[in-house]
Amino acid sequence: MSDAQDREGAQTPSPEDQRIAMQLMEEVCAATGQRVRPVLRAVQGNYLHIELVGEDVRATWGRMGQALDALQLLCNLILARRVTTDVRLVLDANNYRERRAEVLTQRALELAREVKERQEEAELEPLPPHERRIIHTALINDPEVRTYSEGEEPDRRVIISPR
Amino acid sequence: MQSLIEYLVKALVDEPDQVNVTEVAQEEATTYEVRVAPGDLGKVIGKQGRIANALRTVAKAAAMKHKRKVYVEIIA
Repeated sequence: MSDAQDREGAQTPSPEDQRIAMQLMEEVCAATGQRVRPVLRAVQGNYLHIELVGEDVRATWGRMGQALDALQLLCNLILARRVTTDVRLVLDANNYRERRAEVLTQRALELAREVKERQEEAELEPLPPHERRIIHTALINDPEVRTYSEGEEPDRRVIISPR
Repeated sequence: MQSLIEYLVKALVDEPDQVNVTEVAQEEATTYEVRVAPGDLGKVIGKQGRIANALRTVAKAAAMKHKRKVYVEIIA
């Protein structure tokens, strides 16, 4: 399966599935015993973008993406058990995803410049699927390089190579 | 913290009634021992320990506020 796979066409989750997803996130937040609550920010295809907000977010989920990714993995596994359609959660906190996407896009553009200059492949560190997709997307319109992924999760990496 | 681990584990397995999470407090750290029905082990461990590791990472993040080390052990 390609990372760059277009999910725009995927079906919007039904109101009932969205309710189940939000309820799951409410329960998870309550179980943390912290001042954290979920807010539905956007629905894109079958992805529900949920932001964790509240006083305790910055000190926990907003600080390291790893924690956010781990919580997202667990919540998606649980959600898949409760709904019949393919609904996915994208969790954010403290605007982490947007800041991270900006950093990854800049890295991609910089590396692409080097790849063109040296006419040599460049390899990024292992990234989770949604972050690899950001790299692919950043360079999709650059006619001078192509991107692909190599290796097995969780060590799968994006390679940028000259065309 | 215990309630978070308990909630997540119960929600991941087929037999939530068989889930038992015990808190073992040591001086420097707290260990959460997770027990599930034998048939549910794979559901809390995952391929290459992916789910167990996610549980550990989440527990660590949730405990960050209290500046305590936490471990999650899945007892087979």
